[in-house]
Amino acid sequence: MKRGGSIAVLLAVSLFAAGCSSASTAGTTSTGSSSASAGAGTPAVGSGTATSGSATGAAHKKGGEVTIANVGGQTWSCQFNPFNPAVNQQALGFVYEPLVFVNVLKNQAETPMLATSYKWNATKTSIVFDIRQGVKWSDGQAFTAKDVAFTFNLLKKYPGTDLYALWTGAGMKSVTAAGNQVTMTFAGPATTYFFNFANQVGIVPEHIFGTGAGAAAPDTWADPNPVGTGPFTVSPCSANNIQYLANPTYWQTGKPYIQKVQYPAYLDNGPANLDLANGKAQWGSQFIPSIKTFYLAKSSDNHTWSPPTSNVSLYPNNDPSHPATSKLAVRQAIALALDRNQVAAIGENGQQPAANQSGIVLPTFEKYYDAAAVTAAGYDKPNATKAAALLATAGYSPSNPLNLSVITVTGYTDWDASLAVIKQQLAPIGINITVEDLAQQSYNTKLYTGDFDLAYYGSAGGPTPYQELRQILYSKNSAPIGKTAATNFERYSNPAVDKLMDQYPAADDATQVSIIKQISLAMIKDVPVIPMTENVDWFQYNTKDIDGWPTPDNPYSQPAAFNVPDVGQVLTTIYSKSAQN
Amino acid sequence: MRYVVRRLGFFLITLWAALTLNFFIPRFMPGSPLDALRVRTKDKLSPAALQEMLTSFGFKPNQNIFVQYWDYLGNMVTGKWGISIGGTLGQPVSEIVLHALPWTVGLVGVVTVIAFLIGSLVGVVAGWRRGGKLDSILPPIFVVTSALPYFWVGLILILVFSVWTNGFLPSDFNYDNSLQPSFTWPFIGSVLQHAILPGATILITSVGGWILTMRNNMITTLAEDYVRMGRAKGLSGWRVMTTYAGRNAFLPNLSGFAMSLGFVISGSILVEYVFNYPGLGYLLYNAVANTDYPVMQVLFMLFTVAVLVALILCDFAIAWLDPRARTKG
Amino acid sequence: MTALLVAGAGTDAADEPRRRRGGLLSSILHSRKALVGFFIFFVFTVAAIVPQLFTSVKDPNALQFTPALPPSGDHLLGTTALGQDIWAQLIYGTRESLIIAVVAGLFATVLSVLVGVSSAYLGGIADDVLSMITNIFLVIPTFPLIIIFATYAGKGTLLVVLIVLVVTGWSYGANQLRAQTLSLRNRDFLESARVRGERRSYIIVAEVLPTMISLIVANFLGAALYSVLTAAGLQFLGLGNPNSISWGTMLYWSQNQQALQTGMPLWSIAPGLCVALLGTSFALMNYAFDEISNPALRPVRRRRVKRKRTSPAGH
Repeated sequence: MKRGGSIAVLLAVSLFAAGCSSASTAGTTSTGSSSASAGAGTPAVGSGTATSGSATGAAHKKGGEVTIANVGGQTWSCQFNPFNPAVNQQALGFVYEPLVFVNVLKNQAETPMLATSYKWNATKTSIVFDIRQGVKWSDGQAFTAKDVAFTFNLLKKYPGTDLYALWTGAGMKSVTAAGNQVTMTFAGPATTYFFNFANQVGIVPEHIFGTGAGAAAPDTWADPNPVGTGPFTVSPCSANNIQYLANPTYWQTGKPYIQKVQYPAYLDNGPANLDLANGKAQWGSQFIPSIKTFYLAKSSDNHTWSPPTSNVSLYPNNDPSHPATSKLAVRQAIALALDRNQVAAIGENGQQPAANQSGIVLPTFEKYYDAAAVTAAGYDKPNATKAAALLATAGYSPSNPLNLSVITVTGYTDWDASLAVIKQQLAPIGINITVEDLAQQSYNTKLYTGDFDLAYYGSAGGPTPYQELRQILYSKNSAPIGKTAATNFERYSNPAVDKLMDQYPAADDATQVSIIKQISLAMIKDVPVIPMTENVDWFQYNTKDIDGWPTPDNPYSQPAAFNVPDVGQVLTTIYSKSAQN
Repeated sequence: MRYVVRRLGFFLITLWAALTLNFFIPRFMPGSPLDALRVRTKDKLSPAALQEMLTSFGFKPNQNIFVQYWDYLGNMVTGKWGISIGGTLGQPVSEIVLHALPWTVGLVGVVTVIAFLIGSLVGVVAGWRRGGKLDSILPPIFVVTSALPYFWVGLILILVFSVWTNGFLPSDFNYDNSLQPSFTWPFIGSVLQHAILPGATILITSVGGWILTMRNNMITTLAEDYVRMGRAKGLSGWRVMTTYAGRNAFLPNLSGFAMSLGFVISGSILVEYVFNYPGLGYLLYNAVANTDYPVMQVLFMLFTVAVLVALILCDFAIAWLDPRARTKG
Repeated sequence: MTALLVAGAGTDAADEPRRRRGGLLSSILHSRKALVGFFIFFVFTVAAIVPQLFTSVKDPNALQFTPALPPSGDHLLGTTALGQDIWAQLIYGTRESLIIAVVAGLFATVLSVLVGVSSAYLGGIADDVLSMITNIFLVIPTFPLIIIFATYAGKGTLLVVLIVLVVTGWSYGANQLRAQTLSLRNRDFLESARVRGERRSYIIVAEVLPTMISLIVANFLGAALYSVLTAAGLQFLGLGNPNSISWGTMLYWSQNQQALQTGMPLWSIAPGLCVALLGTSFALMNYAFDEISNPALRPVRRRRVKRKRTSPAGH
């Protein structure tokens, strides 16, 4: 695939953090926190007027059409099964909706969707959802609490559909419906999994998935004419284009404003970016090279905003079998010598911000960031002299250089450019970098099994920094060299960090923030990985006719079209200017 | 009879060899469908769930490889082609192939046949009028065009007819996304418009080869006794050119055509890739990139079968055109 | 079966193999096509051996210039979107492209000679098996196989690309050479060698091969042409080593950075043109060789001759 970079994010920022290796998979906080729309614990917004989180509180007239240019690399298969990870980007948010929408960009602010409110028990092992009344499936049948319980029990019955390992990893024990309430019970404190079960799972109708073709194989069923509660229905779908029409019986009265969504299949970035530049498509979600001249200069209506959500880092192999990179001094020297701003400016063409050694993505997760600690350790600016001195303690110098190879993926041109800069920066202190461009398949095998000195890799991220740090640092996500690791590819292991990770789920909000700060101290002290730039969700939008887009001032949801279920928030907030007259 | 048996045996063994290579090469190399799926979902989903999902779709990595191989051979023959486990996870392979096939046959197939016919005709005339204007200009030009890289010609055409002319002709995809497939003028017009540049690419790069080989065959044939004899008998030039020389010069070119189908498929992959044309070539490229074994296997089998069928048809055609071959059988 | 699979014009060379040997060189020198082809090849060879003659840039892959500059005195063809000098890349890229063509062409030819000649000369079961293998390789659509192989073979190193090209590029030549050898088998000079009691290997090397020099050379040129185009295609798809400097790799990067759409068309045009030129040079030499080995194909120069020949066709 011709990719413009390391960009092909396929799923919403979610958090499957831990892989299958441990029973105590990472989770997320559901702190209602100080966010705008929902009170902590029990958000209650009356049905029919739920406009919380949207760009403007005021209602708009209906009308207009929006075209999405999000490169899928293949023609549509016209399947809409929300459990199929290859196609659910076209179903979740459009047709299927979650219980609660959690906004990653706004400190996990919550917007009630199919649940109007919820309540945890004291030990956080059980949660009761109040299910919204008066919602109808798009085929006219009534939506009830039973559908919710059915959906979650389906995940148990067909493990292939349990994409977030709720029943196996998160310790889900039962899900039952009574009246308009649904009760879930867990083996332990489960607040960290709230993001998964409340936000990521699309609720499906029992009368479709429980009978006929859908019931026979809910995991592999194509679901060609999806019936959901969401703002849109599919009509029609062809290999080249999916057209969505507004659901006339949508429960948020007056929404969606936009009446039609076109989702053409793009095989490559080139044509998609061309359509964006000339305004034929208004909603872009991939990297545009030379974006200023190619896109922004073409029209004053063209805008871009790509919020960062996770880190792209150098992963030094911490395993003792790699004598150089397992030495702290060597890792520290690399981290000190590198000028991250230059890497971001040249390698990423200024389109991704520089990362920092604490591993906290800024500005998205500002409140967890400990600037003083980063400065105290000397990682606030590059320091080649100190780096060279550290490297000398490990026995290397420009006259006796350390030779390291770094693996990366063929076709990720921005990574190649970044590594070229890194190579140039490390040469003066006595480290010779060889860049090994590998086909995706070979890269994965080497990365997963730990067969590398250095690897360039973008981690997945999550709704809080906890998920990403846990992916990178938790020892249960690691594996011996030669075995497949879940996410801890550099093979870092620190019992103290593991303990903090285990304490996090049961802690209160303030403690959770302090735990993350302590964990990021380990990033600074042990330099297990070296964050270089921040991965962003690519987003370009045209305001000639459509307005109400997510912006830095009003980040009401993640903006890229591949973020599900966030896409549903954007679709119910944008409106056509010409239809307002 | 012995000839027919030998020929059939050859076809079967070739098919078996192709299928076997295609089964084992990807499986003995690094990478697996599960890894590919993990990458596509950015390591965000449970690998266990993804593995389950792939298993539900028919992926059985833990089964004995020879059992898999045996099942695979059986499934290829019986048409149980399975379900995609790559980027189009869950879609039946037969459906995927059916979507892509008309585009490749319609574009690459038709243009190739046109190129072959035009090339042979021009070659006959050029060879006949040896040293004429046509013959002195064409060969050097076509020596050059047949050495051009397919995809580069495509890029140049895109540059000239699309980029520099502000999208005068469409440079990608098979028809305008905003149209629904139907038998209406706007749709058919859009399909034809989108076929112009890729079609021209194939024509430009392949017609030269046919002209040259046909011309050379023609010249060799013209020196044969029976052609001289036809002339001596006082037959008209046209008659000698078409029935005596042309027909005999055409036979080796025809078998060359059947053989070259393999190359046509190669070219189609690059052309479809450059023009983002959703045909079989693009599909294969995508399947390989996503470690989609079922799709790869079926496509490779189809490509091999296509070449073999062309060879069989060519055998028939030669037997029909050439009395000598008939008696040999 | 063999009759069917042997196509093209080269086979006619069999008729009078001995007479032309001495005249080969002078024939080449008298063919304009061969000279043009040879000249292009020569220029590329010089660039491949001493690229420093043509550019002052030391490391053409380093990102050392302002990106996306238009052509100027400093950068004859401008710079890439990543800040490399396009002209320097083109010059330095010659080496790998040329090596691929020559080495892959050479080994493929050696393989064709080995298989083709021994198959025909040995006869019997050996012939059946060898020509079966040849025909299978001839018929299997190789490019898809190449893509599959190159993708999974890990790093797309030069070696992998070369192996792939040799394995898939020998069969056509082997078939031709087999047919040629078959037609020679019962000639008098071979018969007399056998009567003299020479060993088979001696007969093949000393008697058979020399008669087929021009066909072997033609095969080499054909295989080299095939290698140039296929390697460029593979690298263009990103299946080569993207850090290497070659024309195909340049095409990959330019496509990856959407050079055509972002106003850097030379980045695509120049390397493609070089691939085309190198291909053309092989094709021209090959064509000239065909003409040399098959006198009937030589261009007719004198006008009067042409008149005489075409007049019966008047209509």
